[in-house]
Amino acid sequence: MAFILRRVSVTRAGKKIVRDRPFAGDSIRIGRDGGNDIHLEDLAVNPHHATLTSPDGRRVLVTASEGLGFDFNGRSTETAEFDSASGGELRFGGHRLTVQREGAAIILLVERTEELSQSAKDVDEIRAFSLRNLLPGRRISAWGFAALMLFAFLIAPIWTWYSYAGSDERPAGFHADSSWSSGPLSNAHASLKDDCQSCHVEPFVAVTDASCVNCHTGEHKKMSAAHANASTATLIAARAPPGTGERALAGFAAAFNRPEARCVECHTEHEGAGRMAPTPQQFCADCHDGMAGRIKTNLGDAADFGVDHPQFRPLVRPAPGAKLVRASLDTTPRDISGMKFPHDDHMDAKGGVARMAASFGGRYDFGRAGLQCKDCHSVDAGGVAFKPVDMEADCAMCHSLAFEQVGGVTRTLRHGEPAQVIADLTAYYRSTPPTRPLQLGGMARRRPGQYAEGAVYNIYFSEVAVRPARADQAIAAVFSKGGACYDCHTIYAPSSGSNWRVMPVKQTDRYFSKGWFDHAAHEETKCADCHTEARGSKLASDLLIPDVKQCRDCHVGETGAQLASIRVDDPVKSSCAMCHEYHMDGGRPWTPKPVKKRGDVTAVTAIPRRALYTDHFGSGDNRGTGG
Amino acid sequence: MALGTRLIRRRTRAAAVQTGRVRQSAHEGFLSYAGFRWAKISGGLMLLVILSYALIDVSPRHNGGSWYGYTLGTIGAALILWLTALGVRKRKMTSGAWSLKAWTSAHVYLGLSLIVIGTWHTGFQLGWNVHTLAWALMMIVILSGLFGIFVYATMPQALAANREQMTQMQMLEAIRAYDRQLHVAAQPLPPAISAGVQASLEQDPFAGSVASRFTARYSGCATAAARAALAGVPDAARVTDLLDQKSAALARLRGHLRIRAILEVWLYIHVPMTFALIAALSAHIISVFFYW
Repeated sequence: MAFILRRVSVTRAGKKIVRDRPFAGDSIRIGRDGGNDIHLEDLAVNPHHATLTSPDGRRVLVTASEGLGFDFNGRSTETAEFDSASGGELRFGGHRLTVQREGAAIILLVERTEELSQSAKDVDEIRAFSLRNLLPGRRISAWGFAALMLFAFLIAPIWTWYSYAGSDERPAGFHADSSWSSGPLSNAHASLKDDCQSCHVEPFVAVTDASCVNCHTGEHKKMSAAHANASTATLIAARAPPGTGERALAGFAAAFNRPEARCVECHTEHEGAGRMAPTPQQFCADCHDGMAGRIKTNLGDAADFGVDHPQFRPLVRPAPGAKLVRASLDTTPRDISGMKFPHDDHMDAKGGVARMAASFGGRYDFGRAGLQCKDCHSVDAGGVAFKPVDMEADCAMCHSLAFEQVGGVTRTLRHGEPAQVIADLTAYYRSTPPTRPLQLGGMARRRPGQYAEGAVYNIYFSEVAVRPARADQAIAAVFSKGGACYDCHTIYAPSSGSNWRVMPVKQTDRYFSKGWFDHAAHEETKCADCHTEARGSKLASDLLIPDVKQCRDCHVGETGAQLASIRVDDPVKSSCAMCHEYHMDGGRPWTPKPVKKRGDVTAVTAIPRRALYTDHFGSGDNRGTGG
Repeated sequence: MALGTRLIRRRTRAAAVQTGRVRQSAHEGFLSYAGFRWAKISGGLMLLVILSYALIDVSPRHNGGSWYGYTLGTIGAALILWLTALGVRKRKMTSGAWSLKAWTSAHVYLGLSLIVIGTWHTGFQLGWNVHTLAWALMMIVILSGLFGIFVYATMPQALAANREQMTQMQMLEAIRAYDRQLHVAAQPLPPAISAGVQASLEQDPFAGSVASRFTARYSGCATAAARAALAGVPDAARVTDLLDQKSAALARLRGHLRIRAILEVWLYIHVPMTFALIAALSAHIISVFFYW
């Protein structure tokens, strides 16, 4: 029995050189130490790593001696026993020891299988010194990212759209096409944020008005009404000729199936959370600036309230009982209501009216400065407009219709019913005697001479006899110059078939049907600051509505534009939408309210709007009661 | 773009006439190519966009959907595709009129002008959506390119200083030499100590995390650990000395790798993000028409 140690080395040319060295004995020591039978120059091997024995020359036993094991046929172990005939492969550190049998000898083939250091291995210079081994390749990540983008932001959204096409409402939750939203929706539409298809119904078809009017029923009608029921074609024709950019966009829009004059052209969405943006003046001016030159219209051109707005044209009644017509304030139109009312007499602080009013101190609190506007004019519930002047409530304090007192109760003529007045006066003269002279009464001491007494008697009783006929005189007096009715009303004298008649009074409740004026918004301003003509007006037919020039004392254009001829101390920037509404519904034009900070208000109690007016309306002193 | 190509052609024709007599004496980089021609064109373009944006009255407000927004968007998208074409262009050998230097110069400066074109196209309305994603990717691509130019301008000096005339393979060869010597010198050492040396030999000099590559700080360095373990061990002076020298060689290699990583990394962002951008841009454009 013998061991043969075989070493194989490879020349540079690749030629293998095999060296065999026989060993006597039945035990071979393996290790890094120079004293071993098999000396392995390998730092991964212990000085006395293992011992290999073969007592019978056939079986081989390998035992690790310093705790560090070895690999036997690829498995880590500390002892191994095997038949040399079938052979075995042992691995110590970077060396391989192959055991096999050749005849009677056991061949131990020793080879170095690993480089002595990691650095000694061949490297691909280009890869090793660059980032290629560390980072994912550019090509793979390029395609990977591109695919990810296309999937997440194109395929998934389209799939979402496809999944819900035709359904009325999407379930709440995440939908992939929300990544397409170019910005948050306005508050009013916030609930639709997950349901793109509520507006974007068909792919590649621009949002149509049908999507809007599904919910906003009637808006089309209101819009048309506000624009004299003009057709879409007329509305488009009214627009200013587009500039180069707009023409390009229009061509682009036409080429890509995006029709004009849709709701969304003005009501742009996805512009950010919050209230929907107020309509800028430019939207109106796009058409109304120079519109008279483009379409047939009786509207004046308007582009900016501060510098380019036509004179107001309120509704007036040019003749008694006539229909209301619009007339420019420049033509000083007259508004015939049927009333007689000299504002100048009533507002003169030193005149008779003021004296009379002052004498009512305690009963009616008119104050010492004469009558104020609020004494006769009262605001309506909303504070926006004024109630029609009411005889009983607003005039009767002074203009009494009393004609008799019965047991402390004052009887008055029935206002508004001339026939009743005539009947009441007739009845009065029929039922009451003339005032009885003292001479005819009671137990009073009489002076000598009976004649005088008889004369009084005769006068009195002849008067009693004709008394009922006196009614006609009284009635005529009431309805004639100097009489209670005639003072304020236009009276028609009796003619064949009719008695005394009073022209019906028609007070206009809203002078501007296309515009909106809110008195409440002007509560800090004295009445006379705007209604400047009131103090000097002698006739009720004077139209005391302020004209555009008057408004421009405070109101300037949306961007602050104003006429050079007017000095504005405290300008109020006013867009068209402050007074006008595209979708006119007769109410206050829609404007976004400024968002109030909650911290400013601790509690809200009742808002005493009426009291606020009666406190200071017209006198302009401090702002009433609020807290 | 058409204007750009015309300019390149005209310029090249003029240059072709001159080359016979005038030799360029100094190297002219792509940044200063033709007297900063593309920098001027790009600057003018940016100025034009900023001024026209301020002067043109778009109602109700500027955004990507106005006619002006569409114009900028179209220009921007076309520019992005053209800029991407540099990747194709640089792989093609072309002569004469289409100089790669001119193309690169235009790529750099027109790419920078995209900051203004793209951002002004948004009308400054940004949000969490595919539209802003496309913008953000565009900005990442541009800024990574800008970073690339910056490091190309500043890092080569550091690279040269670190190399001290050595080639990359020489740096590696030095480590291999120390490893061989260490292997021999450590043979007599007891296993407890030689294990550290063996670990140093077994560690790949290129191994390490991405962070280590960029900072040149390797906390798991086996060589440093072996050197620390050998401190104070008698009869190991030779090994200690070799470990110190290997550490120095490793430091040089790692410094080199760090600078190269910084020089290269922008491309690992610039290129993939360009493709991501083109995909996101397609999604952006299609989405606009899809939900028209």
